[in-house]
Amino acid sequence: MANESLTDTESISFEPVELSSLAPQLLEPARAYPGALIVVEGIDGSGKSTQLYLLKRWLEIGGYRLHFTEWNSSPLVKSATRRGKQRRLLTPTTFSLLHAADFADRCERQILPLLHSGYLVLADRYIYTAFARDVARNCSQRWLRNLYRFAPVPDITFYFRAPLDVAVNRIMSGRPKLKHYEAGMDLNLSLDRAESFRIFQGRILAQYDEMIESDKFVVMDGTLPVNKLQMQMRHIVKSRIDLSRFAPKKASRRPR
Amino acid sequence: MKKSRPDRNNGGPRQNSSPSGASPRNYGLPLPGVNDEEFGGSLIVIEGMDGSGRSTQISLLTEWLESEGFAVQTMGLRRSGLVAKDIDALLAENTITRMTLTLMYATDFYDQLEHRIIPALRSDFVVLADRYFYTLIARAAARGIQRDYLHGLYEMALRPDLTFWLNVRPEAAFEREFRKSHTISYWESGRDMSLSNDLFQSFIMYQAKMKKEFEALAEKQGFIAMDGEASVATVNAELRKRIAAHLGIQRTQYRPSAALASLWR
Repeated sequence: MANESLTDTESISFEPVELSSLAPQLLEPARAYPGALIVVEGIDGSGKSTQLYLLKRWLEIGGYRLHFTEWNSSPLVKSATRRGKQRRLLTPTTFSLLHAADFADRCERQILPLLHSGYLVLADRYIYTAFARDVARNCSQRWLRNLYRFAPVPDITFYFRAPLDVAVNRIMSGRPKLKHYEAGMDLNLSLDRAESFRIFQGRILAQYDEMIESDKFVVMDGTLPVNKLQMQMRHIVKSRIDLSRFAPKKASRRPR
Repeated sequence: MKKSRPDRNNGGPRQNSSPSGASPRNYGLPLPGVNDEEFGGSLIVIEGMDGSGRSTQISLLTEWLESEGFAVQTMGLRRSGLVAKDIDALLAENTITRMTLTLMYATDFYDQLEHRIIPALRSDFVVLADRYFYTLIARAAARGIQRDYLHGLYEMALRPDLTFWLNVRPEAAFEREFRKSHTISYWESGRDMSLSNDLFQSFIMYQAKMKKEFEALAEKQGFIAMDGEASVATVNAELRKRIAAHLGIQRTQYRPSAALASLWR
């Protein structure tokens, strides 16, 4: 910020500061950093987390400099989110804002500094999760796009697309107890939690599909065998990102 | 349609509202699930820095309005059931970054809007807001967050019927605050911005920046600027006059009760 250079000895002036000189991260990011950002998106049960895990293992084993981050993982807003969910205080707007605050904390304290210091950042869900889910909750698209303007644009966004039935069945067979907001029960779609979840996921899926072109998603077929999909993913990563930038430095010999 | 209020039509026209009641009460976007044309009530905002006498005036106005038979609800910053405590904790730590703080305050604001202000307006209350999102915009803009981003963030907020801005010189506000609490808050003096190591100078510089932001807002949002350094009684009389005209109250005489007499200096 321009005013940070002011010291006690300098004369104080309150000239209006040029907006363009402030907060460059609030502009459409120009990827003015040496790092790279890979994102996976998709509805619950689309297989995205498994695929990102395998990509991460591949890169880790190769010794690449990377950082893995998840949606909704910061301790910052955990108590508020828990309180809001337990007491069902959350409206579509405050639900959205709490997740944005959480993301802002991760963005300002992890993602951006790591991108600036030349890391490969892998994100399990990103702002598109908020766009899909919050629009499905009737938040305004325009408001949401503005809200997340400070987020760096990913280098690759993998969208794992699985038919609704396939994805929902994967979730329902493994984890049958659905939570209130997770099932979209706040939207009064159905009194039956499983049915509400299915309708809600269908709405989210439709929102993801809307973003394929505008947000340059790389669409992945979530019904393919895991290893086949993973080979496709690795190939795309190699062809789009110069991984040598993140490769381990060759150990220089040090005298004992 | 907005509720008609035939008993209040002799106090002059409602501000920011066309006679048909068709003008939107939000800044461009409705809240999801809220039709803001469906409720009446009045939203009256008092803005001004710490030490400008806001809280005193709100206490007095509440008593006056209640004595005139109006139901009053108040709101202020960091008073939501959802995140007020979390913000307190974050401020005490002061490791929080500006975007996160901006969005936590926005959460606090919208939680109060949806759970306190709107239900009160639906029940025809007069809502007195001890600061509004204007302060949040000024604070964030003073820290370099883009103004159009901030206005977009609050696009679903309700447009107040009246907004008063108690204007005081930072030097006078500093004196009042110091007399009251013998210290100046870290955030109110903008210490996070590294403006100066001298607390007084930091406070003055920060409040001058805030004033610039408020001046820009005052013009755009039609604030009623008032001299916050005038006596409590003088400021209160002017506030009552304006509010009475808006609500159609004929009588504006008021003497505070014994409980509030100490404020009337």
